[in-house]
Amino acid sequence: MKEIKDLVVPDNLSYTDAHEWMDKEAVPSRMGITDYAQDQLGDVVFVELPEPGTRLEKGEVCATVESVKAVSEIYMPVSGTVSAVNTELEDRPELVNSSPYGDGWILEITADDPAALLSLMDHGAYLDMLKGL
Amino acid sequence: MDSVIKKTALHAGHLELGAHMADFGGYEMPLWYTAGARAEHLSVLTAAGMFDTSHMALIRIRGEDSRSLLQGLFSKDLDHCTGPKALPLAPGRCAYGVFCDVSGHVLDDALVYMLEKDHYLIVVNAGMGGIIKEHLSLFSEGEHVAVEDLTDRVGKVDVQGPLAGKILSEVLKDAPALFAAMPYFSFKGDWTLDGSSARCLLKDETPILLSRTGYTGEFGFEIFCAMEDVSRVWSLLSEAGTPLGLTPCGLAARDSLRTGALLPLSHQDIGDWPFVNHPWMFALPFTEGRKSFSKGFLGDEALMAAMETAFHTFAFVGKDLRKVAAGPDTAVWLGQENIGRVLTCVTDMGMGLKDGVVYSITSPDKPEDLVIKGLACGFVRVDRPLAPGIPLVLDDGKRKISVTLTADLRPARTARKALSAMLA
Repeated sequence: MKEIKDLVVPDNLSYTDAHEWMDKEAVPSRMGITDYAQDQLGDVVFVELPEPGTRLEKGEVCATVESVKAVSEIYMPVSGTVSAVNTELEDRPELVNSSPYGDGWILEITADDPAALLSLMDHGAYLDMLKGL
Repeated sequence: MDSVIKKTALHAGHLELGAHMADFGGYEMPLWYTAGARAEHLSVLTAAGMFDTSHMALIRIRGEDSRSLLQGLFSKDLDHCTGPKALPLAPGRCAYGVFCDVSGHVLDDALVYMLEKDHYLIVVNAGMGGIIKEHLSLFSEGEHVAVEDLTDRVGKVDVQGPLAGKILSEVLKDAPALFAAMPYFSFKGDWTLDGSSARCLLKDETPILLSRTGYTGEFGFEIFCAMEDVSRVWSLLSEAGTPLGLTPCGLAARDSLRTGALLPLSHQDIGDWPFVNHPWMFALPFTEGRKSFSKGFLGDEALMAAMETAFHTFAFVGKDLRKVAAGPDTAVWLGQENIGRVLTCVTDMGMGLKDGVVYSITSPDKPEDLVIKGLACGFVRVDRPLAPGIPLVLDDGKRKISVTLTADLRPARTARKALSAMLA
């Protein structure tokens, strides 16, 4: 298990309390799960992805990440349309573990309201949340 | 039960190895190490894995009524349990069975080791030492039997996988002599040192009990030693085994390996319901035709009566690696009817499916173009008898998977292979 000090929490991303990250600068915006989430889940062995073009509300399930431990649901951080999915994960789900903020990204979302991203946590708030767990 | 979470003597070492820890049976134990559960599972199929199993409980019984006490409580008939000829349990041999209550429900499963005449060790699950000791004591009042719970005095490390023999050869003081006659379900040595059974020593003179058993379905050993020696035993094995691919393994790999090997987890696959109609009927002392038992034991009448009425437990295998959550809320659909519950559902990372045939990464006949990613598998408990091949749908409310009942799971398991063949 990683210690808090060993967890990677990039300062240019936004975070949810479900341990997802979202790129707040790019449009459409990439999202995935955090280093903490992948460490807790253990080996990711399967990722179920939605059809690109699907429109989902904030909080709706947009993907599932299956690890040796459990099948975990990934929720939409903001309302919007899935504009792309990381098809590389079909053959290499382990990228979620080895590169959670890079090649292990899960979806790209075009937010209905780009301002909704401002409601997410910044890296400082997310780190504080992790310290409280 | 003790509400304070316990740690084994190897706990600090697990943290140093970067283990992800979790509560299991009242102990904080490694779920997986930095290699990850998948690599750990595969290491046991292709090389060897090493498990801290010091959380298991150990009870010793001694005295002239020991055997009759076991015969009256343990589900296996100790007079007919060893080898293909069903010979009596003898010193240096062990047997698998369960302890039932009067209703035939399982208190726990156990391995009984015969050290010598009137002297046995009983290995039960984590947290069960006190309960089984109590059970044995209750039924031995007025008898010549002393029951002792050795749990906190014993350390245990399992080395499992095809290279386990080669690794043990490196650390045992006289491996050729110890390995000379050592079939499956036999053991050498007695770490308690107050029995007269043959001694088994590591090169540094540490006394151990070396057992050709395990909980993975693969060739290997369980090593018992004094608690104060277990860190040294772990280090010796690690030094000798790491160059050969020996990998520390956590409980996640242990769970997926044992499921693929068709072995039950006590209090999950067997438990507070009658111990009949399941893949482990060999643990009951049936006579030919399964109409009677070869001995009387606690729960026998209830078990015989339950054969017609009790639940049926079957192994299943999925179509790919996707699993569902096990538990009482997960439905087992046979057509339109929900007929039971899922006891265990895990992914055996070493299995793959092609044209309806299940292969292991170690199957000699594995098709070359088959990429093995793992298969979901486990046990369901249903309200009726069913045949292998029957398709079911398991539904945990979030996901449905199609599975097939099967008589066996991971092929090409090595547990029963001759030791000599595994040293070649």
